[in-house]
Formats: sequence, C-alpha cells, structure tokens
Amino acid sequence: MPRLITRTILLIASLIIAAVTCSAQSTTGTVTMSATVSKFVEINSGGAVTLTGNSGGGVTTDGVLNSPLAVSINLGELGPSNTNSFVTASVPLKLRSNASYVLAMSATVTSSGTTASRIGAADVGFGLGTISRTGTGVNTSGTDTNATSGDPTLAANGSVNGTTGRYEFTAVRSNLSAFSSATTALSGAIIMNAVPRSNSNGLTVPALFAVKPQFFENGTTTVSVTFTVTAP
Amino acid sequence: MRLRHFTYSLLSALFLLALAGTISAQALDISSGGLPTITGAVNGSVTGDASVQGDLAVTVNFGEVSPLNTSSIVKVVVPIALRSNQPYQVAVSISGLTNANAQALQRSDVGFGLQNIQLLGGAGKICTQSTHVIQSPFNNDPALSAAVGSNGRVTYSSSLANLSGSTVILTGPILSKNNSSKRQTSDGYIFDAIFTVTPQFFAAGVSSATLIFTISPGPNLPC
Repeated sequence: MPRLITRTILLIASLIIAAVTCSAQSTTGTVTMSATVSKFVEINSGGAVTLTGNSGGGVTTDGVLNSPLAVSINLGELGPSNTNSFVTASVPLKLRSNASYVLAMSATVTSSGTTASRIGAADVGFGLGTISRTGTGVNTSGTDTNATSGDPTLAANGSVNGTTGRYEFTAVRSNLSAFSSATTALSGAIIMNAVPRSNSNGLTVPALFAVKPQFFENGTTTVSVTFTVTAP
Repeated sequence: MRLRHFTYSLLSALFLLALAGTISAQALDISSGGLPTITGAVNGSVTGDASVQGDLAVTVNFGEVSPLNTSSIVKVVVPIALRSNQPYQVAVSISGLTNANAQALQRSDVGFGLQNIQLLGGAGKICTQSTHVIQSPFNNDPALSAAVGSNGRVTYSSSLANLSGSTVILTGPILSKNNSSKRQTSDGYIFDAIFTVTPQFFAAGVSSATLIFTISPGPNLPC
C-alpha cells in the first residue's frame, strides 16, 4: 500500500514538472522572412503607329500606349503608281525589365505572286530607330546594342542594284530576310530601377519598316512580324 | 529501507525542480498571438502557431515580389501576445537583407508597423495611469502608408530600415493581472506586427531576414 501511494505521488510530481516545462514562457520570439524576385521582361506598344508615303492603305489596328502590342497596317499601293520614294511605318515599342534583356524578331512574308519579281522578305526594309531610356524609375545609365542598321531608308542602308535595277536594303539586318527565324534585334542592360509596375516609363524604340515602290509583280502581300523579349 | 530512502530522495529532487521552475518563472513573456495571415502574395505563405500559448516562431515567405505579382502590395499580419507582471518594453533586432545592389530588395522596401494593441482577455491588466505606446515611427499600417517616392520607388512611414541594433518598438505598464508562470489564453495583451512588400522591378534574386522580438523590463510606468 505505501508503495502504491509513493508511486502515485511520483506520478503526480512528474506531471507537475511536465506541466511547468510545457508552459515555459519566453522573452524572445522570431519572425523569419524571405522573398523572391524573378527576372521579368515585357514588351508593349509605345504608342500610335506612323505611316508615311502610302497611297491608299492605312493603320488598321493602331498601337495603344502601354497596351499589348497588336498592330495591323495596310501599306497600300506598292507598285509604281505610288510615286513616293518609300512607304514607311514606324511602330513604337516599349520594353521594361528588371534584368538584362534581348529583343528578338521573326518575320514571314507571303505574296500571291509567283515570280522573282513578287515582293519578298528582302524587299521589306527594317531597322530599329533611336533608343530612349527616359523618365522616373528608368535605368538611364543602362546601355543598349542595336543589332540592326537603323532607319532602312537611309542612303547608307540601301540602294538600287546596278545589275538588276531592283532596290535593295543592303546593310546588316536591314530587311526582313535576316529575320526568317527569331533573331536578335536589340539587347541591353536592366531597363527599370526598383519601381512598381504602375510606373509606366520604360525603354522606347521605334520599329521602322519600309518598302520601296517598284515594278513588283502584282498581287497581295502579307507581312507578319513577331517581337519577343527575353531575359537570358 | 534503501528503496524508501531512494524514493524520498527522488521525490525531494522532483519537488525542488518544480519549485525551482516556479521561482524562476519569467515575469515577462512574448508568444504567438494567433495565426498570422498573408494577402496579395503569389507563391507566398506564412506559418506560425495558431495558439496564443504557443511560442512566437513565424516564417514568412512573401513569394514573388517582381512585377510578375500584379497585386498592389503583399501584406503579412503577425499577431503577437505579451504578458508581464511589471512594466515592459519590446525591442526588435534584425539580421540579413543586406543586398549590395541598390536595386535589389532592401530593408527599406519592407514596410513594418504595429497596430491594434489590445487586451488578450479578461486576465489582462488595465492600467489607468499609463498607456501602451508604440514607439515612433512604427505606429502605422505600412499598407496604408505606402507612397511612391521622388525616384519612383515605394516608401513607407516605417520599414525594417528603421531597425538599428535592438530597437524598442513598444513600451507599457503591467500587462497581466495574475502572476502565473504559465501562459494563459487571456492574461496579457496582443498586437499586430504588420509587414508589407510592394512588388516592383527589383533586381532579381532571393532575399531573407530574421527578426528577433524581445520583451524585457521597461521604463517604470505606473499602473
């Protein structure tokens, strides 16, 4: 009997100690925190398209500043009845990133013509214009590399072929034949400083397209261009 | 006879241990104030003890805070409970979150404020001669004080950048009516520690920090 009482007391004592231990108070506590910033890049419209030198045609779907880029342009007449030296379209692009970026472009040109005189990818001049990093929150000290030759209508970027008589965009990456597959057009350093996405500033650059009206084979031509920005 | 001596000795030792535990019971205590919450997060989470009798050991993952997260702000509310039988102060120290790249997440990019100090329950002490004071500049909800600075970056009325060494964030008089050495569910006060991050074009990377909250004897405030 005394042994039973002793065991009971021992058990109770152990429980008391356990209770004291379990409810132990503390004068410190910890909060550990972490956060992830992934690479982010985006391309949007930099504003309205400018179409010049056209005969007929027009901007079917215009660019809307800071909205997804989805532009449709009818270049109009590209035969000799258009007496302008060039039909040009300037499509403003806006890029934003928190990392170094690469802007690539791919293009397809399809024509209803069947001869070598139909409009082809090499007949569509292309280049990126002046690159602008301005505005609050933009990394203005970042540098960019334009892999194109700029405005395709510049005299230095094209001329009439002395043999064939056809006008050709001859400079490096100055026409769409250089972009039959995704090809880098522009690359550079981080575009944005640490600012919210609601900050609408960024890097703007015009994508310049040009066609020299010539005695092309008659028909219709469709040019489709896709821009892709990545953070390698 | 030997067994009896051994039993008495063991009993004595156990009681002494229990007594020691009682005598050394801390007059100051900080614990979980309940389940923490997170809003606005993408791939984020927060874990902590749901019980006010549990230890304060919270893990916050703000998740993605680049522009991939289109929420206006990621907000974490961590309830913290306090108990004391004497005037107290709560201090916080921080380690980590020291990115060399100024465009990466910095301590100033994590808003930090205190709100909603209130009785935990009926066993909390109501003092009439002193109040519980959230120290400047932490008396704010950083989700509400967030503003865009002249450089376009979001700023807060108070942030983790306001923590230097062990920084006192809260002081006050006695918190508890009783003098229990054990945490009870109603014997103190509770407040919200609020943390915020506004998703921005931060430089890519993973950042982390550890905060240690410490309660200790504070200014001699009458009750």
